[in-house]
Amino acid sequence: MTNPEEQFNPLDPTGILKSVRDANMDAWAKMMVNLVQSEAYAESTAAMLDAWLTSSGPFQKAVESSMSQTMAGLNLPTRDDMTRIAERLTNIEMRLDDIEAKLDESLQPPKPGDQGS
Amino acid sequence: MSDQPTPVAETPPQVPMFSDMCSAWHRVAENWDRFNRVVTTDAKIAQTPKEQVWALNKAKLYRFIPTVPETERKRIPLLMVFAIMNRPHVLDLRPGHSFAEYMLQRGYDLYLLDWGAPGPEDKNLTFDDYTLEYLPRIVRKLKHVSGCSEFSMLGWCLGALISTMYAALRPDDGLKNLILLTAPLDFSDKSAGGFTRWSSHSAFNADTIVQKLGNVPGEMIDTGAKMLKPVENFFGSYMMLWDNIEKPGAVDAWHAMNTWVRDIIPMAGGAYQQLINDFYKENRLMEGTMALRGETVDLHKLRANLLNVIAEADHITPPCQSEGIMNVVGSEDKEVLRVRGGHIGIMAGRGAEKNTWPHIEGWLAARSD
Repeated sequence: MTNPEEQFNPLDPTGILKSVRDANMDAWAKMMVNLVQSEAYAESTAAMLDAWLTSSGPFQKAVESSMSQTMAGLNLPTRDDMTRIAERLTNIEMRLDDIEAKLDESLQPPKPGDQGS
Repeated sequence: MSDQPTPVAETPPQVPMFSDMCSAWHRVAENWDRFNRVVTTDAKIAQTPKEQVWALNKAKLYRFIPTVPETERKRIPLLMVFAIMNRPHVLDLRPGHSFAEYMLQRGYDLYLLDWGAPGPEDKNLTFDDYTLEYLPRIVRKLKHVSGCSEFSMLGWCLGALISTMYAALRPDDGLKNLILLTAPLDFSDKSAGGFTRWSSHSAFNADTIVQKLGNVPGEMIDTGAKMLKPVENFFGSYMMLWDNIEKPGAVDAWHAMNTWVRDIIPMAGGAYQQLINDFYKENRLMEGTMALRGETVDLHKLRANLLNVIAEADHITPPCQSEGIMNVVGSEDKEVLRVRGGHIGIMAGRGAEKNTWPHIEGWLAARSD
């Protein structure tokens, strides 16, 4: 408990705010944890998320479509083009990694006891 | 000398001088300025010297530069695998408080895997890819660089999930010791933890999220994690900083941690779908029905020595999600370590250096030569 005489100290201007916070924070935190763990919260969050995704979908699609048309008109690669190139680069990287693995294996000094060919 | 007591001057009631009040307010203004700077800037983190030894797509494997002579080093190297939706810098937070630095000083040949931030082209990456495409390549490179056919692996959060599946699917790949930190593996209790409650709800549809967004934005994951303890995360953390704003050590620690927390990255859509549908909703790993690239993950086949570190106050991975594996794995040498603290705090909090790190190091040291 906070001593009433210590509630306001002009040399600690934030002290009174701290007292209020200390007195209420734990209860507030517990209440909020109980709230977010409730069935109602889970349901409403899922519903809101779903509504947002559904409502923003057509708008997003329209923007993407017009952007693709604009980029194509300007002879510039679209996001899809860049994505396809990036995927191909990753595949090439994997091939290179496979080759490196085989090189590492062939360049490894023979283990003691191994018969040289 | 007279017998009469010396009169004591009465202390006047202390009334603060105007100048004292001005200086107090001035201090508050200075503190506010410092607070603002700390909250909005990045601290230097992940400073332990390391070199990149391998890269594929966004993933990178680093080797920390050893700090002890080769003759004094542990024979078996250690690979650290962090989660796929955060940066791994929390394992090397700041000089003087870095798990990587701690392990280097104790003679480990130390490797860190950074999965990197997935781009739009990575939206179809799944746990199949992380576990059976990336990790085996990383292990091959680690073995080549270290010159050792055996290795230890430390997996944290979803990194522990990937490590566990790898250990079960590739038991003969040289994995000697497996350390799991706050591993989300068993989702049989649908009432345990906010994530399980939210994602298990029938109205929550991961497929729609991924279909509309591709990768799941880091902000969405970050907000979800913070909403598990909203008051602590949105207010408490900043109040703790304000309370300690005049203590440079505490401010530095907070600044480093906040820098890591702010550095959010998206999660590959395919992996997110799997996480929600196969793990959270259907608990496939523990049910024995999880299959990666057609191979069923049989936890009985996990034979590596196992240390399972559980955070008792973990609200992201409640202890019950990590405990179940101990009865299922085929490891003969297995141990559970329960640590007081939260999901991140057990490894990056103030007590980590005294509680968690020495225990992990001690356990590993006995099995690394």
